[in-house]
Amino acid sequence: MAALSADDEESILRLPYKITYSSNLEVCTLRRSVPAPGIFLLTALLITGIAQPLWAHAILMESKPKANATVTGSELPIWLRFNVRVDGGRSRLQLIGPDGSAVSLEAAKQTAPNILESRATGLKSGAYKLHWQVLASDGHISRGEVDFTVN
Amino acid sequence: MLKLVDIFGYLSVLLRAGTLVGQSFLLGGVLFMYWIARPGKDVSADGLQRVRASTLRMFRIAAIGLVVVQLLYLYVNSAVLMATEEIGLRDVVGANFFLAGTVLLAAALLAALIAGSQGRYVPHCLSVLVVIVLAASVMTNHAAARIDGRAWLILLTSLHEASTGFWIGGLPFLLLGLYVAGDRPTQWYLTQRFSQLALVSVAVLVLSGFGMSLAYVGSWRSLIGTSYGVMLLAKIMMLAAMLALGGINFLMLRKYGPDDVVPRLRRLVEAEVGIGITIVLAAASLTSQPPAVDLVNDTVSTSHIWARFRPEWPRLSSPDATALSTRLPGQVVSPLDPTRQVITYTSEGSPLSVRLLNDRKWSEYNHHWMGLIVIAMGVLAVLARTGHAKWAENWPLLMIGIAIFIFLRGDPECWPLGPKSFWTTWADPEIFQHRAAALLCLAFAIFELRVRRNPSQGGVLPLIFPLLCAVGAALLLTHSHGNANLREEMLTELSHTPMAVLGVIAGWSRWLELRLPPEERTIPSWIWPMCFVVIGAGLLNYREI
Repeated sequence: MAALSADDEESILRLPYKITYSSNLEVCTLRRSVPAPGIFLLTALLITGIAQPLWAHAILMESKPKANATVTGSELPIWLRFNVRVDGGRSRLQLIGPDGSAVSLEAAKQTAPNILESRATGLKSGAYKLHWQVLASDGHISRGEVDFTVN
Repeated sequence: MLKLVDIFGYLSVLLRAGTLVGQSFLLGGVLFMYWIARPGKDVSADGLQRVRASTLRMFRIAAIGLVVVQLLYLYVNSAVLMATEEIGLRDVVGANFFLAGTVLLAAALLAALIAGSQGRYVPHCLSVLVVIVLAASVMTNHAAARIDGRAWLILLTSLHEASTGFWIGGLPFLLLGLYVAGDRPTQWYLTQRFSQLALVSVAVLVLSGFGMSLAYVGSWRSLIGTSYGVMLLAKIMMLAAMLALGGINFLMLRKYGPDDVVPRLRRLVEAEVGIGITIVLAAASLTSQPPAVDLVNDTVSTSHIWARFRPEWPRLSSPDATALSTRLPGQVVSPLDPTRQVITYTSEGSPLSVRLLNDRKWSEYNHHWMGLIVIAMGVLAVLARTGHAKWAENWPLLMIGIAIFIFLRGDPECWPLGPKSFWTTWADPEIFQHRAAALLCLAFAIFELRVRRNPSQGGVLPLIFPLLCAVGAALLLTHSHGNANLREEMLTELSHTPMAVLGVIAGWSRWLELRLPPEERTIPSWIWPMCFVVIGAGLLNYREI
């Protein structure tokens, strides 16, 4: 189970939902902590417009490295396959190292409309997190992460 | 920045819904203007001219509305993309969504401008522009992003959205036409022509929808085990309700004469417009979720659903407010902190610490008591309907109980249960929402009680309650879906989505009870109290553990 940073926890406490944990592909499970007393509370939604995060259109179907995998070496090819066409030029890959430092990875030219590829270099031993954010061709932005460890 | 993306997630559903409603109005409007309301035998030319002029005005308003919604959509989506990807406007402009959105925007803008002018080629221009709007909209749909069967899915989506527009988008124009026509023959003419169109549109809508369901859902397990599937079921249920109303119209048209049909038809079409727009909202919600067929690992099985929803005795005792996670910063399970250590798991395997478990017990207790109150409201409304229990007409008083309940238990960290001050917590959006909900319930209680005490009161005031009820439930449908379709969220939705659908049906049946001629009110007057009872029963069986 991935730990959340102090900032994440602070932001979670301000949300109207309890967030239970973060995982490799999609980030959070959100729960309503307040009852919906029938249709009467529903009407309140009209006035208050409760905002709930929901942005998850493109789904990561397969990745190399796999989630929670252990890999060796200082260089690592990265390969992500999504369920829909993604706009490689407008998507972002970021690698968070064991020390918390973030490095942006340049995406290679797409070999297929639903594939993103890149290469991570200069890896050291420790736990890494690959953040991805993609723009699907229907205009939806999705994001997630893949945890892996370098031995 | 991530919050910006998340907030935009919700906003985008509403904007997408606005786009779909707008394009449906444009499709329905143009067809109504140039096919339904075209000159015919035994129809007054004046009456039809009035109808066409008012249709054109409403079409123009719909086109302007679509321009505004689309501008907002493009602006917000571009702003988020530029901020999160750290790219300039020049790069954003090349994105597919931007190109398609700009084409849609330009076509809607031109349609609004041309609709205001006179000319021989105006009908042709408007028809072409509306087709462009449809095509651009389809290019920002699921179909455009698929890998396999893309061309077929684009075709099916186009047919689905076009038939939706012709039927659901045409209904408001029929309603307007019935009001402005001024004479029975014209009203009858419009109604009969629209009925034929609706029949064909519904057939295309259902067939194309079935084809898309096969592609996007694929299995029974995905239908009942994913958020996408549940939302699709909600859409099907509302379509069934709308078809029932349409079926009544269809039979009335073939059995009775114009003087019997038209006054009733107008009221039924009002409800059809409402439910139809709700279906479009649900469709917008579907377009913002990953298709069920792609959720290979996040499908909930029937055994999991049964484990969560099998009837159990309600939780009528609550943990203390001091034992909740809101009293201790950091709600996340952690092996380092005794209050955060895992002590149990949910039926779906989510780990729970002592405080997280208490949170869920607290929430279940809230839902179950609300369920009891809503059931009591429904039962009292049924009793009042029998005419043998005049005192039961006071059922809106129970909404005051709901208001007090929300105020006390909605925010246990605030006064009077928690240490946070009543006055300093108004700025918190969540707390503000709860207090607004409580005030709204209080206002409704007073308001509906006045309507009950004076049933002969006319005007729009009695209609506000059913309208807000239906609209509130419709908005719940648009916001009720999960971040990534994880199983826990899916189970929560499985309990809330049926309640939202019942809320929609309750609202519109109450609307019909108020709007139909007195002798026609029997059936709707029974439906909405029964919806209350079923919603209450759903709340009573709501569980999170």
